[in-house]
Amino acid sequence: MSTQNIPALLHNNSNAVTEIEISIDAFIAKLKRKQISGSYVIALETLQLLKRFLSAARWNHVNELIAQIRELGNRLEKANPTAFSCGNVIRRILAVLRDEIEEDMRESSAAQGSSAGVGGSTVANTAAEPLISSMFNLLQMPGQSTQEFYEPKAKTKTDFRQVVIQGIKDLIDEIKNIDDGIQQIAIDLIHDHEILLTPTPESKTVLKFLIRARERANRTFTVLVTEGFPNNTENAHEFAKKLAEHDIETIIIPDSAVFALMSRVGKVIIGTKTVFINGGSIVSSAGVSSVCECAREFKTPVFAVAGLYKLSPLYPFNVDKFVEFGGSQHILPRMDPRNRLDTINKITDYVPPENIDIYITNIGGFAPSFIYRIAWDNYKQTDVHLDEKKM
Amino acid sequence: MAPKKGPSNDRDVDVEDRFQAVVLTDSFETRFMPLTADKPRCLLPLANTPLIEYTLEFLANAGVNEVYLTCSSHASQIDEYIENSKWNLPWSPFKVTTILSPEARSVGDVMRDLDNRGIITGDFIMVSGDVVTNIDISKMIEFHRKMHAQDKDHIATMCLSEATEYYKTRTFEPAAFILDKNTNRCIYYQDLPLISSQEKGAVQIDPELLDSVDEFSIRNDLIDCRIDICTPHVPPIFQDNFDYQSLRTDFVRGVISSDILGKNIYAYITNDYATRVESWQSYDTISKDFIGRWCYPLVLENNMQYDQTYSYESRHIYKENNVVLAQSCKIGKCTAIGSGTRIGEGTKIENSIIGRNCRISEGITIKDSFIWDNSVIGDNSTIDHSIVATGAKLGSNVTLRDGCIIGFDVVIDNGMDIPIGSKISSKPVKSLGSSTFDLEEEDEDEEVNTLSTELVGQNGVGYLYDSDASDDEEESYGIHTISNRLAHQLEELYMSDASISSITKRKKKKRTMSSNSMYTDREDVDSDEDDEEDFEAEGIATIERALENNHDIDTALLELNTLRMSMNVTYHEVRTVTVIALVKRVYHFISTQTLGPKDAVHKVFNQWGDLFKRQAFEPSEFVDLMNIIMDAVVDENFEKPDLILFGAFTSLYDNDILEEDVIYTWWDNVSQDPRYDGVKVLIAKWVEWLRTADEESSDEDDDSEED
Repeated sequence: MSTQNIPALLHNNSNAVTEIEISIDAFIAKLKRKQISGSYVIALETLQLLKRFLSAARWNHVNELIAQIRELGNRLEKANPTAFSCGNVIRRILAVLRDEIEEDMRESSAAQGSSAGVGGSTVANTAAEPLISSMFNLLQMPGQSTQEFYEPKAKTKTDFRQVVIQGIKDLIDEIKNIDDGIQQIAIDLIHDHEILLTPTPESKTVLKFLIRARERANRTFTVLVTEGFPNNTENAHEFAKKLAEHDIETIIIPDSAVFALMSRVGKVIIGTKTVFINGGSIVSSAGVSSVCECAREFKTPVFAVAGLYKLSPLYPFNVDKFVEFGGSQHILPRMDPRNRLDTINKITDYVPPENIDIYITNIGGFAPSFIYRIAWDNYKQTDVHLDEKKM
Repeated sequence: MAPKKGPSNDRDVDVEDRFQAVVLTDSFETRFMPLTADKPRCLLPLANTPLIEYTLEFLANAGVNEVYLTCSSHASQIDEYIENSKWNLPWSPFKVTTILSPEARSVGDVMRDLDNRGIITGDFIMVSGDVVTNIDISKMIEFHRKMHAQDKDHIATMCLSEATEYYKTRTFEPAAFILDKNTNRCIYYQDLPLISSQEKGAVQIDPELLDSVDEFSIRNDLIDCRIDICTPHVPPIFQDNFDYQSLRTDFVRGVISSDILGKNIYAYITNDYATRVESWQSYDTISKDFIGRWCYPLVLENNMQYDQTYSYESRHIYKENNVVLAQSCKIGKCTAIGSGTRIGEGTKIENSIIGRNCRISEGITIKDSFIWDNSVIGDNSTIDHSIVATGAKLGSNVTLRDGCIIGFDVVIDNGMDIPIGSKISSKPVKSLGSSTFDLEEEDEDEEVNTLSTELVGQNGVGYLYDSDASDDEEESYGIHTISNRLAHQLEELYMSDASISSITKRKKKKRTMSSNSMYTDREDVDSDEDDEEDFEAEGIATIERALENNHDIDTALLELNTLRMSMNVTYHEVRTVTVIALVKRVYHFISTQTLGPKDAVHKVFNQWGDLFKRQAFEPSEFVDLMNIIMDAVVDENFEKPDLILFGAFTSLYDNDILEEDVIYTWWDNVSQDPRYDGVKVLIAKWVEWLRTADEESSDEDDDSEED
C-alpha cells in the first residue's frame, strides 16, 4: 500500500520531464481540489494547457499526436469527471485535427491515385463523410470506420502542429464571443411586460442575455430568481443585485414558491453546464430539475442557454455519475456520526430533454431532439470515449 | 504566494522567496497501540489513504514550497513512503525533505533539532502529520499577516475550529482558550480534563494577565487542530526553554504567561472542517465525516493517490474499479470499497470502509467497521464497530464485538468470539527503542507475551495487547478503557456537555478549587474512582494545610465548607476528615517527639476543637463525632490509644464542645466491638467520674486518673 503506481507514461519520459508535465499535473491537482470552477474558465484553461502541450509535444506520426492528446484528455477527465468542458474542448480539437488529416490524405491519395492508386485509402475517403447521408451508411457500425487510424506511410506535408494551434485559437475566440451570439437571439425572445423565471443565477450567460434584452431592445420585464438554497443563495443575491442595477425589476423567491408562481411566468430561462447528446443537460443548481418539471406542468416554455463548447458527445446513461455531490457541512451543523442525519447535497442537477423546449446556442436555437446532429458536426464518434485504448 | 505585507522586518526577503512547512509525523503518544508498533500513525490508512496524504494535500493547497517531515519512530518507513510517493516527483507542488531525529522524545526535542539545523528562514506552517482539514489557509495567512503588522510581538497563530453544539466528541485533549475578544489574542491556555473523566476542571488565571484586556472570552468549544503558522522566532524559544515538551501545554502556556518573553500568540477561528486523528474515537469520527462528505471539497473520489479510482454513488457509496460484488450482497450507505476486493453472497456492509484486495466471504455482516487492505474474512462472521488491520485473517463464524482492534497479520480461528474492546496484535508488542514505547519497557510482563489462544483459537496467531499497562496519559484507569475504544459507547459515558448535570447529580460530586489550593490540585491527579475518597483526601489536605500554616479557625472552616458544598457531602464526612486530620497531627507530634502524648492531644484539640462546633449541631451528631474520634484513634495505632482518646474527649469537654448528656448517651450506646476495648478503659472511668461528679456536684482531682 505504501507504494503508489504512478502512470507508466510519466516514468517513461522521465528524462524528458519538462515544464509541461509540471503544468499538466498542477492543472490536474487544481481540478481535483476544485480550485478552478465554472465551465467557461475550465474550457479556456484547458485550451491554454493544450496549446503548451502541443508546442512541447514530439511525435513521429500524426497517430501518435492523436494518442497523446487523447491521453491528456483522459487524465483531465479522470481528475474531475464532472468538469465536462475539459473533455469537450479536447474532443473539439481532436475533431479539427482529424478533419485536417482526412483533407490531407484525400489530397495525397488524389495525387498518388493517378500514379499507383492504393485501394485502402479510397475506402477511408468514403467513410470520412461526417454526416450520415445515406441509408447504406446507417447500417455501418459506428466507430468502426477506418478513420480512427491513419496509414502511417503517407508522408504528410501539412504542419499539423500549426493546424491544431490555429484550431485552438479559433476555439478560444469562439468561446470568448459566445455571449454575443446568444444575445442576438435574446431580443427576439423576450417580450414587453413579460415575467421570466430563472433558477440558475450563477450563469453569466443568462445574466448577459437579460441585460442585453433590457438595454438593446429596451424591453421592460420582470425577472424572478429562485433562491437556490443552500449552495447558490449568495449567487442569487448577487445576480438580483446586478439585474436591479440595470433597471430590471427583480424578485428573489424561495425555492418552494416556484409552483405557486409558475402560472404567472411567461418563460423559464436556465443556464446549463453541459448539454448531452440526448438533449438533456446538467445545470449548476440543485432544484432546477424540479423547476423545469413544474414548468412543463404549466406548459411554460423552458429556454436553455448554452455555448457550443458545453455540448458534450456523451450520453447520460447513469445520471448519478454525472451529477456532482457537494459537502454536507453547510446544510446541517456538524454532528457526531453516531446519531446524525446523512445529507445528500447535489450541487448540480440533471434536466431531462423532455423538460426543455429549446436550446439557445451561439449558432442559433435548436430543439433538444436536434442536439445530436450539432454534436456530430463538431465531434468525431471515435473520440467519445477517450479512455478506450486504440490498438 | 503574494508578497508579504506588513512592516519590513529583517527577514522579509526570505519570506517572499519561499513558504515552509514543518510536519510533525510523530505524536509521541501511544494511543494507536498496538498498531503503531508496526507502522507509524501517519501511515495508518484513513479511508484507504495514508493519513499523511491528507496533511500533504492540505499543504499543497496552501501553496507551500518546502515541506520538512520530522520523523522519529519508524522514520525509515516514512522516509521510504515519501520517496515512492507522488510528492517526490519532479512536478510535486513542493519539495519534501524528511528530517530523521530518532532521538527525539517530544515535540520540544523536534523543535530544538529544527533550530539546530537552521532550516527555518521565514514564517512557516507547523502541522502534525495526522490533520484532516479543508480550511482555506489563505485566509489564515492573511490573518497572520494582519496581526503581525499590528503587533510586533506576535510569534504564532493557532488555527482553531469551532465545534457545534451537536458535536460532542470534540477532542481528546480538551482545553480552554481565553481570547481577547477584539483581536483574538490568546491570553491564557489551559488543558481541561476530559468530560468523561468525571473530574471537574477549573481555570486559574493570573489577574495580571487580564489587566490590559477590555473584553475577553473563555472558550472550550474550539477544536485544536494543531495547525499553526509560526514566525522563525518559535524554534529558538524551544531552544531557550529546554524543558518545553509539548506544543500547547508547555509552549503556548509558557509563552503567553511569560513576562520575559513578551510574545503573543493569536488564534484564528474558523468553522471549516479541521481535526486531528488523535485517538480511536477521532479515527472513527473523521472516517465517517470524510465518507459523509463533511470536509468537502476534500472527498474520496478526488483520488488523492495516483492509482486510486474511486467514484461516487448516491447515499455516499464509493467504489473503486475492479470491485467484485456478489449478486445478493447488500452495500448500505456510507461505504467505501477498494479495488480488487471480492464480496460474497448474502454479505451485508454498512457504514464501513473496506480496503483493497480483501476477501470477504458469504453471509457476513460488517457494520461501522474498518477493514484494511488484504484482509480475509470467513463465512458468516459478524464484525461490529471494529478495525481489522492489513493482512489479518478471520476464520468463519468469528464475532468481533464493539471496539475490537485486530492487528496486522493476526489470524483468528473459526468460531471465536472476541469480547468488547480487545486489541490483538500478531506479535507481542515490544519496545522498539523509540520514545513512544518507553512505558512498555517497564510494564512488559509475562501476560503480554503469552499467545492468547483463548481469544484467537487453536490455529490462531495473536497476542492480547494490554493497553492499560502501556498508556502514558495521566488519566485514571476508568478513562483508559474508554479512550482506547472506538467512539461507539461514548454516549453512555457522558461525553456531552448536556450530560454534565446528570453526572453531577448521579455522582453527587463537584469541585471548586480555591485559588491557593495547590495541594488540592495535586491530590486530584491521584485520587481515583470514589468521590468520597476524593473528598476525604482533599478535606484532610485542607485541614492539614490549615494546621501547618496556623490559619485561623474561620478560614479553615470556610474552606471546608466550600469543599463540602461543592462536593455535596454530609457533615458526617466533614467531621470524619477533621478528626482524621487532627488525630494525624497528634500522631505527628508524638512520633517526632515534639510533644508528649498528653500535651499533643491537648494542644491540638484545644486549639482546633472549635471546628466541631460548626460541624455538629444536634446531640446525635455529637455522638457521631465521638464515635468518629474513637475510630480514628483506633485506626491510627497509637502506643497508648486510650490515653489519646481520653485526652481528646476531656479537651472537648473542657471547651464545652461535648455536653455531659451527649457523653452519657454515647457511652450507653457505645459499640461493644472487642477492638475498641483497649481504648475504652480510661473512658469508662472518666464517664463514671463524670456521673458521680454530676450527681454530687463536687469537684474531684482528675490527675490521679491520668497516667
